[in-house]
Amino acid sequence: MSMFGGMEISASALTAQRLRMNVTAENIANAETTRGADGNPYRRKEVTLEAVGQDGTFGAQLSRAMGTSGVVAGGVQATAVTEDETDGKLVYDPGHPDADAQGYVRLPNVDTVTEMVDLIDAQRAYEANVTAMSAAKQMFAKTLEILR
Amino acid sequence: MTIDPTMAVNGLGSEWSVGSIGSVEAPASATEGGSGFGSMLNDAIQGLTDSQTQAASAAQALATGQATDPTAVVMAVERAQLAMQMASQIRTKAVEAAQTIFQTQV
Repeated sequence: MSMFGGMEISASALTAQRLRMNVTAENIANAETTRGADGNPYRRKEVTLEAVGQDGTFGAQLSRAMGTSGVVAGGVQATAVTEDETDGKLVYDPGHPDADAQGYVRLPNVDTVTEMVDLIDAQRAYEANVTAMSAAKQMFAKTLEILR
Repeated sequence: MTIDPTMAVNGLGSEWSVGSIGSVEAPASATEGGSGFGSMLNDAIQGLTDSQTQAASAAQALATGQATDPTAVVMAVERAQLAMQMASQIRTKAVEAAQTIFQTQV
């Protein structure tokens, strides 16, 4: 673990939470999008997070300890952004351009309330990681005060 | 990305550049035994200069809108600041130690 290990871990979490925020914003922005790139309604996206540095092989451990692997041991990274495959609501709206022969429109499977909760969750997690990062920084600065 | 050492001079982050520390010449006796105190100091100062240059280029990328990850910029600047603080403290300690030797009663 390098000198700034704690801060690097928090930094990886900040990047991951920012991605969550972006994906949630995309979901909210497309809450009414009935026509995606493939012609189907928009499907809500979810971020999958994975802990970094849990690989237990000797070589992986050594390269992390030497700081040569390029990844932050103990940090987090987003591995995938997956689509929620559940179907959205079917709404009767014959005047809609995307209505089918019976006059029904398939809306996106985005629930605004769920997205708002996700948004608050990402925001608070970001704040928590900022606090952890500044705590690590203050500890390092306090260590330097010993030299005075 | 290659880091241009002259960038910080006319660039935005001139306050981050270390300036003309240059390379520290290893003493002649140290070169015989491989790596001595001089080369160790040289490596340490080189690492410090690298972190300052990285912070300068990251700050410039943020200012010109090329930075994709603000967290990386913050980390580069923080790392450079803390490394510089530590180097400064160690330098103060070294100067104090030298002065103690100079004041020795003969």
